[in-house]
Amino acid sequence: MNMINVVSTDPRPTDDVWIPSSCSVCYGTCSILAHRVDGVVVKIEGNPESAVGKGRLCGKGVSGIMTHYDPNRLTRPLRRTNPKKGLSEDPRWQEISWDEALDEISAVLRKVRAEDPRKLVVQRTTTVTASRVLFQTFAAAFGTPNLSTSGGGLHCGNGAHLISGIMHASWSIVPDFEYCNYAIFFGASKGHAAGHASCSNMGKAADARARGMKMVVVDPICNFAAAKATEWVPLRVGTDAALALAMCNIMVNELGIYDGPYLQAKTNAPYLIGPDKLYVRHPESKQPLVWDTRSNNAHPFTEVAAADMALEGEFTVDGKRCRPSFHCLRDHLRKFTPEWAEKISTIGAATIRRLAKEFGTEARVGSTIVIEGVTLPYRPVAAIAFRGSQGHLNSLYNFYAVDLLNHLVGAADVVGSCLGFNPASHGHPDTGKLRYIPSADPDGLMVSGMWMGYHYPYPPSEPRLPTNIGMQDLFVLGMISPFLDSTDREEMWERFDFPYRPEVMVNFGANLLMSIANKEAVAASLANYKFMVSFDLFLTETSNFADIVLPDCSYLQSLDSRSNFPFLFNLPAGMGEWCWPIRQPLLPPDGEQRQCADVLLEIADRVGFRADLNAAYNASLNMQAPHRLDRETRYSYAQICDAELKNNFGPERGLDWFKEHGLIKWKKKPEEVYWRPFVDVRVPIYWEFMLPIGAKIAAIAEPRGLKIPMEYYEPMPDFLPCVSHCCQKPDFDFYAFYYRDVVHTNSFTMENPWLDEAARLDPFSYTVAINAAEARKRSLHDGQLVWIESEAGRKVKGRLKLTEAVHPEGLGIAAMCGHWSDGMPVAKGKGVFFNELLELDWEHVSPANMSLDLCAKVRVVPVEVAS
Amino acid sequence: MNVRWDDAVDSTLVRSSVTPAVPSWRDGDGLANDVRVHVQLFGALASMAIERAPNLVVPKPATLGNVVTALGERLGGAFLARVVDETGVKHRYCRLFVAGVPIEDLRTPIDADSIEIEMILLNASEGG
Repeated sequence: MNMINVVSTDPRPTDDVWIPSSCSVCYGTCSILAHRVDGVVVKIEGNPESAVGKGRLCGKGVSGIMTHYDPNRLTRPLRRTNPKKGLSEDPRWQEISWDEALDEISAVLRKVRAEDPRKLVVQRTTTVTASRVLFQTFAAAFGTPNLSTSGGGLHCGNGAHLISGIMHASWSIVPDFEYCNYAIFFGASKGHAAGHASCSNMGKAADARARGMKMVVVDPICNFAAAKATEWVPLRVGTDAALALAMCNIMVNELGIYDGPYLQAKTNAPYLIGPDKLYVRHPESKQPLVWDTRSNNAHPFTEVAAADMALEGEFTVDGKRCRPSFHCLRDHLRKFTPEWAEKISTIGAATIRRLAKEFGTEARVGSTIVIEGVTLPYRPVAAIAFRGSQGHLNSLYNFYAVDLLNHLVGAADVVGSCLGFNPASHGHPDTGKLRYIPSADPDGLMVSGMWMGYHYPYPPSEPRLPTNIGMQDLFVLGMISPFLDSTDREEMWERFDFPYRPEVMVNFGANLLMSIANKEAVAASLANYKFMVSFDLFLTETSNFADIVLPDCSYLQSLDSRSNFPFLFNLPAGMGEWCWPIRQPLLPPDGEQRQCADVLLEIADRVGFRADLNAAYNASLNMQAPHRLDRETRYSYAQICDAELKNNFGPERGLDWFKEHGLIKWKKKPEEVYWRPFVDVRVPIYWEFMLPIGAKIAAIAEPRGLKIPMEYYEPMPDFLPCVSHCCQKPDFDFYAFYYRDVVHTNSFTMENPWLDEAARLDPFSYTVAINAAEARKRSLHDGQLVWIESEAGRKVKGRLKLTEAVHPEGLGIAAMCGHWSDGMPVAKGKGVFFNELLELDWEHVSPANMSLDLCAKVRVVPVEVAS
Repeated sequence: MNVRWDDAVDSTLVRSSVTPAVPSWRDGDGLANDVRVHVQLFGALASMAIERAPNLVVPKPATLGNVVTALGERLGGAFLARVVDETGVKHRYCRLFVAGVPIEDLRTPIDADSIEIEMILLNASEGG
């Protein structure tokens, strides 16, 4: 194999090289080697030198060639000539020059920035992880807080990332596959070809199963994770919290299994709670008090040895009756009996008891293990949740309840346990850069050392009268907001006296018309923008609402200095290596394609905020002298990448060095991977902070006519039903849900002909999975064309696939198929557009963290009957 | 065996976090009892301020918090609310650099006759 030294994007006709870079067909962003022969990329493989993928590459990754070489790629800037925007409107595109396009865009942005920069909405796809910095900096420099990632986050992140951040200082959680003996997944597929560090985790999960790790998958459908599991536990859609809470109850109240020393030293379990459900605090220092069993008195938590902190008991402090929060939690859990949970989740009480016993026993509370000479707590169990359990109105408590299982037995960021993805880094050994470690707030609770943005999950910001159109400044536990596009968005903005309205959108690759909810709601929102520019590879359903479409470069034509950073997003957890790969262009642009990073720099220059953008890059990339960008210098994106790499890894390791080597890596230490015992922080098993947040939000919202349901702001988790659980309509007897198909990324990859072929060969990718017995009861048969109709009257058409592998009440639909854009002819008309069934309004949004409810109670009507 | 969490490991394996000191330099023109501060505002902070590059004089001994307070007095409460919370702690999404060094803690003392500060708000929304 010829490894290329310094890559040229102007390949000579005789070249034959393997070039290290990074995939971007999904946000897993695995490291790749691309084989280029005579100027054509002929094969893509995983890069075995990298910790990101470890040489493995999934079917999507190897198929990336076909996305790049798709003849339907955009190659020229386009301007719409039809001023009308709508689902059935033809934009009547006209090719224009880049100069014309940039002149027009710059004139619009200049005007808006002078009027009120908040009128600009910046939106990007999450598929290209490296675009985070590009658009964060552009929005910050422009001066707008209105930044969104479309359906990404709204569907999969508002619960999972919030709680992973609060409890594990990381973006997501995963079992410590090398040492875990018992993993229970709640609607998650980590390690089974989806999500963060996907290829690395696939290998780790497979090795773990071969080693004998027992894996239980709780999910309405038995597919990618459950099919490989030791046990599949089908449950009613959206009821994960009921199961998890019942398991917690059994462990604590029936079996007496919990890790007392962990709860004393690493959580707020000993903090005293008063009758108002709040901490009892020291009158002067305001620190939370604990009960000191040695002195038999209350003291600030910093003044008592962890071993002397009472976890249970009733005490009187300054005339107030109080109990440790663990005592409150233990009492709270008693109502979640397995029999109660059976009614909610349909999982038998005996099974719930067994699962709780297995999890608690396998945790080996109290045990230690020696890793590379360091003695560490050993808790080889992990309860993992992600998109499935958290894509609901009740996502916050679903995820909180699942993660409580880990914290009750001390299985948090220690050997064998539930790990955050790399929450603690001691930095690069040569430069000390990239060092971050969780720290404690004044209440002793953990603050992440690193985050994707600067709005950390804990401590939450103070709620205020919102001015961001997504209202995250009011609903401070939310991240991505539905209120940019919801049917009641205008009502919301009026209610809170918004002084402006969004007028211009800059979109990067997001196909929000398909990725959020029903298309009519999103189309109405998009049509309302006075001007929209979209960077795209293809003409998607969403780009058809743009005024100008710009032809973007594919990942095989693009440069990014940080394709996988932050480490808490995509680097595999567990022992191994820290690894920083780059993405480099292997091929030149086709036609007039340009990489969006450079276009954004040029727009900033034309509009007149170059200094702001340079300052934003300095801030976002944490640039320090001598690598900080000068205020007034005009930089190319390659120069910025070079500066960032030198800033982090030393002057000798700039862009040229990385182009040659592809990545840099160094060894992880046990005290980085298993950081929890080393860092003096606590996590909340009792979310005391919820009460004041809820009260403050209510104080702002309720005088303006928006009732805040305070049951979402209780400090201990509960099962709260989704709208679908409350449906009483006769014949509406299925819960429709969608899952991430293993061969597809969001709505993007249906246009890829290899992946389309794989999906057509897969009996489920383009069909509706229905329980075979339930189908037969209704005289429904395999391959039958049906309407799936929601209680609100929305409907989608699809063919049934009868299977034993779905819950009797579930209807499983893969990914976000059902494209209708002529610009994606391979994708057009394939599969089922699940999101059409979803409502997009306050009633279907969590009033705590703004998760959108992604399930719908539906009925199934054969097409011939309906017609 | 019931191993204590705080006994299981040697916590000295992890260094405490490093807080960078505010760079200081003396240009000879400083007033003996004051710090001259040149502030550069970017993005939304520049949009909402009446001055993009205000100059301040803060009496010694001074902290960065004193500078931010003075800036709030000059540019108004709405500006200040974007920089610090109700308790005076800097919002994490407000990035503040003193002579190019990022500073998080506004209690950081200023040992200089003059300093240059850059401030910008970075937004929060993420996904995936």
